[in-house]
Amino acid sequence: MPDDTPTALGDVRVLDLTGELGSYCTKLLADLGADVIKIEPPGGDPARDVGPFYHDEADREKSLPFLNLNTNKRSLTLNLDDPAAREVFRKLAPSADIVVESFPPGYLDSLELGYEALQALRPDVILTSITGFGAQGPHAGYLAPDIVGVAMSGIMWLAGDPEDPPSLPYGNQGYLCASIQAATGTMMALYHRDLTGRGQHVEVSMQEALLIAQETAMQTYDLNKSVRGRMGRRGGLPITVPGMGPYEASDGWIWGYVGAPGGAAWTELLKWLEEEGMAEDLTEEPYRPIIEQLNIRFLTGLMLNPEESKPKIPLLEHIDGVLARFFASKTKWELYEQGQGRRLLIGIVSTPEDLVKNPQLKARDWYQGVEHPDLGETLRYPGPPYRLSETPWRIDRRPPRVGEHNAELLSELGYSQEELEALAASGAV
Amino acid sequence: MAAIAAKDERQPLTGINVADFSWFGAGPICPQMMGLYGATVVRVESETHMDALRGIGPFPPGKMSYNVSGYFNNYNINKQSITIDLNTEQGHDLALRLVRWADVFLTNMTPRIIERWGLIYDELVKVRPDIIAVYLPMQGFDGPHRDFLGFGAVLGPITGFNHLTGLPNRPPTGMGTNYPDYIINPNHTLIAILAALRHRRRTGKGQRIELSQLESSVAALAPAVMDYTVNERSQTRAGNRLPHAAPHGAFRCQTIRIQAPFGEKDEERWCVIACFSEEQWSALRQALGDPGWARDERFATLAGRKEHEDDLERQIEEWTSQRSPEEVMTTLQAAGVPAAVVQNGRDCLEDAHLREREYYVQLEHPEAGRTTHDGPGFRLSETPARYERAAPCLGEHTHQVCKEILGLSDDEIADLLVAQVLH
Repeated sequence: MPDDTPTALGDVRVLDLTGELGSYCTKLLADLGADVIKIEPPGGDPARDVGPFYHDEADREKSLPFLNLNTNKRSLTLNLDDPAAREVFRKLAPSADIVVESFPPGYLDSLELGYEALQALRPDVILTSITGFGAQGPHAGYLAPDIVGVAMSGIMWLAGDPEDPPSLPYGNQGYLCASIQAATGTMMALYHRDLTGRGQHVEVSMQEALLIAQETAMQTYDLNKSVRGRMGRRGGLPITVPGMGPYEASDGWIWGYVGAPGGAAWTELLKWLEEEGMAEDLTEEPYRPIIEQLNIRFLTGLMLNPEESKPKIPLLEHIDGVLARFFASKTKWELYEQGQGRRLLIGIVSTPEDLVKNPQLKARDWYQGVEHPDLGETLRYPGPPYRLSETPWRIDRRPPRVGEHNAELLSELGYSQEELEALAASGAV
Repeated sequence: MAAIAAKDERQPLTGINVADFSWFGAGPICPQMMGLYGATVVRVESETHMDALRGIGPFPPGKMSYNVSGYFNNYNINKQSITIDLNTEQGHDLALRLVRWADVFLTNMTPRIIERWGLIYDELVKVRPDIIAVYLPMQGFDGPHRDFLGFGAVLGPITGFNHLTGLPNRPPTGMGTNYPDYIINPNHTLIAILAALRHRRRTGKGQRIELSQLESSVAALAPAVMDYTVNERSQTRAGNRLPHAAPHGAFRCQTIRIQAPFGEKDEERWCVIACFSEEQWSALRQALGDPGWARDERFATLAGRKEHEDDLERQIEEWTSQRSPEEVMTTLQAAGVPAAVVQNGRDCLEDAHLREREYYVQLEHPEAGRTTHDGPGFRLSETPARYERAAPCLGEHTHQVCKEILGLSDDEIADLLVAQVLH
């Protein structure tokens, strides 16, 4: 039975002119109940060509990233370079509370559909523009696929090990974060409009959207004139500290943060090794006293004065070797669940398979089944990023096929069947 | 963006009160954004349960105190700080008095601590029926892993970022930061809060919001998740390459000499280059001077370039390694090829584009001095973010909040100070 609990945005209509850069923004609005009309070029959004695809069938209706980004939306195809199609858009615009676009700066203005033109059609409209670098500034015209955004915002510089090239974050994080910031700004503007009756222009630069994710890199230079580099798998510690960083389990990887505050002490880990008969000589001198000191104070001292720790390096490396043998003897799930059971800060390095089989996500019923009658299947989508008790996130409608709602939307605007066919024949729709 | 005179005197969240019981990264950033857009935010800490970011640098040269961390101070702009020991009965009463004042309550403490402090939703609605109560547990308030421990450093691995980012034959080092803490989780949270504020305005009803940091972060890795749920294929990290672009990666440029705190040293420089179409590939070839290797049949199609990507990258790197990343970027962008400098913290601060846009914000702090802060992640034309006050010193506003917000008398405040409740 369909869930008819009121949603937070059930009264809001959004015209979605975005591609890959902005589609997560409008998905966030759509999954909170907004009526999002995705306006695609005839033939469909080029994002439909990006894999992986359903059963590896390269087909514009089967791109998995596209499907995820377009839940709950309706599709209208419009060739905005065609005056007749722009007329359709103008007829639609008065019904739009929000318009979201991710064209290069100036493109909407060149179509005479910029913010002022939209305001003339809908005085309290909110226009959200998402670009690589914003509309002003020397880089405003730069081409900005995801990798350009993550490079220019400093987050790529920090990712990976220092001996390797900087790493590209997986999954178009530049597009994603620009979209999340855009949705936040749009919601802020909407709340302001609700209170004052006034709309506004929300602007997001992908570069600016990401900058705060540099953690402390900017401040490190601002305060100490020192460049924070890739700290790598040992978190920037100058020597091997047992229990910190990635270790191989028998079937994959885990990540240790043992000795950090909040979790159990290293001695608890030693107890576990003993119980499993894998402590080797760690319970004896000179190892046990060192293990008893492996805490945050030790780490702080190590960072402040690496020289003093030098004599301990061989001992620490020996402890690390024993620990690595223990970890390699168990599966990643055993280490994660049993370690956490002992309050040890150990995380599983989840693969996608682990994420889908994760007992916590299962118990909380996180993944969402969405029926795809045309595929004869229910596909499982990522679930809610947040859970609201009164106005739930939900997926009511599978992502649209290219132009699926053309007839429905045009007849809503008063176009007759003949006019609709004429628009289609001319290539406008 | 500092001190821009707002066109609209009223900001979107003017009149909204936020009781901020958060700490570390994922918690405080969301209330900070609310404060930048007009909300009054009171940050609750105590000397016994202090935000650990206060103890983590970077610190300004020669200064080291709980009040000068560049890390903490970047996430707590415009807030007031009160110290309350929540492990005392009177401290608990004060917390509830603050909740009675608040429109929004927010915390990222663990479910165990929230329950111990009696700050669960059912308790809060007793004192403030329309409260919007926001919880950001690591994994949720129910389920078999609800009490599992973790900070951002473990969250990256658990959520899949580490497995999926980096080179395939290298350990799963990941992003090098507590990445989901800074945008994904705080912004998802604010979107939910704004939805709830909107609902409350229409209906008068508050609600409970729960953001499991695990769920919010895995939502950001959808392509890999769906490749498994639909195709049962478990992707692994693939370096900087993409299946539908070539070249697509980071390339070594000319090393430079820089001034470091302990003398001069070499700094590696990198650029990125990406071609998503034959048009861009052909523009790249021209920009490189149409070298013979690039006319090789093997590189004529995307399929060919993918097949011989190692060679392709080596050839391109011969060219980039004789140039600065800035030269690579300007040359290639002018030719219509996506390219950029892999910027570090210094590059971002000195970025001419960001300067022209006045992205960074300078604020004067009583102990840290004048320091730089991140600017807004989004810009509103009529109601821009306002950066009015640097992050508070620990307990800086205890007296003021007790008096003006909680309505305590000077005598009551003195008694609570002596009893170490305001501590």
